[in-house]
Amino acid sequence: MLAFFVERLGLDAALALAAKKHVPIHRTTIFYFLGGMALFLFGMQVATGILLSLYYKPSPDQAFESVRAIMTEVDFGWLIRSLHVWSANLLIGVLFLHILTTYMMRAYRGPREFTWITGVLLLFLFLAFGFSGYLLPWNQLAFFATRVGTAITGVVPVVGKDLLLMARSGEDVTGDTLARFYSLHVVILPLCVFALLGLHLFLVQKHGMSVPEGAVERYGSAEKVPSMPFVPHFLLRDMVGWYVALGILAALAALFPWELGQKADPFGATPEGIKPEWYFLFMFQVLKKLPPQFLSIEWLEGEMVGVLFFGFCGLFVLVVPFLDIGRRTRRVLNILAALAVVFFVVMTARGLSDTVDDWFAPLEQWLLRFLT
Amino acid sequence: MTSLWRILLLSAIWVASAPALAAEKPVPAEAPGPPGKTAEKPPAGPNQCLECHGNADVWDKDQQRLFVTKEVLAALAGDIHWQKGLRCADCHGGNPATEEVNQAHAEEDGFRSLRSLPKDYTKPPQPAKVVELCGKCHANIEYMRRYRPSPRTDQLTEYWTSGHGRALKATGDPKVATCISCHDKPHGSAEDRGKHGILAVDNLESPVYRTRVAKTCAKCHADEKVMAGYQYHGQPLGVKQYEEWRASVHAQALLIKGDLSAPTCNNCHGNHGALPPEVGSVANACGACHGKIASLFAETRMKHHFEQEKLPGCATCHSNHKIQPPSDTMVGMEGGAVCAKCHENGKYGATLAGAEAARTIRAGLNGLSDQIKRAKETIDDAERLGMEISVPKFELQKAFNALTNARTLLHSFQVKPVEAALADGQKVVTEVQGKADHALVEHDYRRVWLAASLVPVLIVIGLLLLYIRTLPTPK
Repeated sequence: MLAFFVERLGLDAALALAAKKHVPIHRTTIFYFLGGMALFLFGMQVATGILLSLYYKPSPDQAFESVRAIMTEVDFGWLIRSLHVWSANLLIGVLFLHILTTYMMRAYRGPREFTWITGVLLLFLFLAFGFSGYLLPWNQLAFFATRVGTAITGVVPVVGKDLLLMARSGEDVTGDTLARFYSLHVVILPLCVFALLGLHLFLVQKHGMSVPEGAVERYGSAEKVPSMPFVPHFLLRDMVGWYVALGILAALAALFPWELGQKADPFGATPEGIKPEWYFLFMFQVLKKLPPQFLSIEWLEGEMVGVLFFGFCGLFVLVVPFLDIGRRTRRVLNILAALAVVFFVVMTARGLSDTVDDWFAPLEQWLLRFLT
Repeated sequence: MTSLWRILLLSAIWVASAPALAAEKPVPAEAPGPPGKTAEKPPAGPNQCLECHGNADVWDKDQQRLFVTKEVLAALAGDIHWQKGLRCADCHGGNPATEEVNQAHAEEDGFRSLRSLPKDYTKPPQPAKVVELCGKCHANIEYMRRYRPSPRTDQLTEYWTSGHGRALKATGDPKVATCISCHDKPHGSAEDRGKHGILAVDNLESPVYRTRVAKTCAKCHADEKVMAGYQYHGQPLGVKQYEEWRASVHAQALLIKGDLSAPTCNNCHGNHGALPPEVGSVANACGACHGKIASLFAETRMKHHFEQEKLPGCATCHSNHKIQPPSDTMVGMEGGAVCAKCHENGKYGATLAGAEAARTIRAGLNGLSDQIKRAKETIDDAERLGMEISVPKFELQKAFNALTNARTLLHSFQVKPVEAALADGQKVVTEVQGKADHALVEHDYRRVWLAASLVPVLIVIGLLLLYIRTLPTPK
């Protein structure tokens, strides 16, 4: 039976590749599972997204009602939507961890620079997925969060106005914005992701799994590091992780179904306490707390500086493989990475909890004294 | 130096400096004039009135009312008439182009004095003359049409039918309210020179803007000294109306919620024709807003009983100025319900059948209220558990509407229509309760299925782990 398909579909090449592929065994082997986990969650996104698109209607008059119908009238619609949203959140979290552990293992070293770059670009694309998908239910919170989020692009120097118009498809968030975000979410971003993911997986296969320097030193060379066959040893362990993720997702969807909220009222007042998704919260907090002007210079607007800073940080992360050129630069990079992680955790916690926010308020005041 | 000599001297000075003054103080060349002689005059030249009336040195102590102070001039800038281009002579008549005092104030030129001879400038203008002066334009449709295509011109006619107008006509009472009492400032004080700062009615600062009307009326009607001796149908007018109205549901809606459709004094009493509604007209006054209730009440025998007993319609149960938000506790025969006041002891011919109807209606209202409350609690529970329940939540509003309808219909004092409305509400609330209960069941169902679905997942994980243990150890 297998021979029937192997002969006709040319699967022998794939099977030979799978048989040849080995995964190194060392203290941080567990981090290798994050990539597979991200792939599984992405698969979940695609499957649930396709099912949702069968009922979703991308117009301001029908979007909210169609999502409500999915949750109340379509069989298991509530489960599909909750799985889609929860797996999206878990996917972003897993991607953050994947990038961080890849950095910690210095897996971006040559010749894997482009594997790193495609991975970082994939993270950016998934963040864009999250941002565009957030608006689609057309509820009050999403509408105003999108209005605030897209307004941030307007402060970029020179091209800000054009970026804002492009993001919103007009001066304000309207039905045109919804259509644009829908197209972005279900056509443009998936095409980009599939292309980039294909390249990323190809590069992973081509260069094999990176072995951390510590393991190489311990065993003398990368070839001497113990390894396990990808099929079936690693794949079966990967599957255990996927089943655990499936169980967690099912529990989250059943116990904490994602709420729908109120239908967006473009003419209503901005609801109190609007916040973006947790993965944008650190940026939101920073932009909210920056002074209107830096160093009392009129044109140096706080928001603009913040947006440029985060843009620069994104670019910096992208080119990390080319900046790691020696022990000294590596030390600087490690310090910056540690600071970035602490900064992300603290600012996200401040966005989630007023109590935590109050803890850091004196430090913030002290820092702002130097900036205003 | 007498006043006349001062005026002549100042006139001479003005003649010498007229070109410069004219350049400094331009006046609209085509300022519209009121009807009559003034309107037929050629376009106004320099407004010389202020050359004398704006000069403090011209006026003796007993003529200070004629002095237009800087404050009055500042107020004039905001005056709706001034803004529309009207000047002194357009209201007061006379000739504004001459420097000669007698020509300027010649009655044949249409000059309208607000005082009778001998003129006493230490006192306010005569009320009747004020009313006639304003009415000269405001009762003239031909003239007023210039400013608005369909203007009101019935204010003067209405005024003479009002309590104020009647008192003025009957007794010439100098304290009585006239146009400027409400539109400008309180009248009657010795310092009153007339501020001339009359604002448009829709100007937020106007004393007759909706939110300020009651306070404006209260300047007199809440003042014991002013109101002393005034009676209506042999009863003292009292001074508590404003205080009571402030505590009412209407004042809360108007002043706190900012609902400009909520009633203030003039909605029930009229404005220019202000008069308390007669006993038989109270329901009509309330019905101006509460139309359905008024029409239901009009068809009842109760209304005729009320009229026979001289009871003031709606106010009999709801009071007049201090109207509180109605509640179901007002209906029935227990716990201070208003129906009991008459039906308990057969007062005014109230019947036992009426008492029974009140009890039935109250029981029905309580029943639907409780059902709605229970359904709402179930919906809240389901929402708290994360269930999507917005449709039943929205539908519950229909039950609220049915309850409101029943509360309205009880003013027919008939059980059947109230019960029909309550039945509509009960039908809706039963369906909503069913959906809300189903949401809770669904939540439990999901938890059970979650547990059930986790079992195969755990079995597969276990099998995988077992299988992994059988694989040869990698090297």
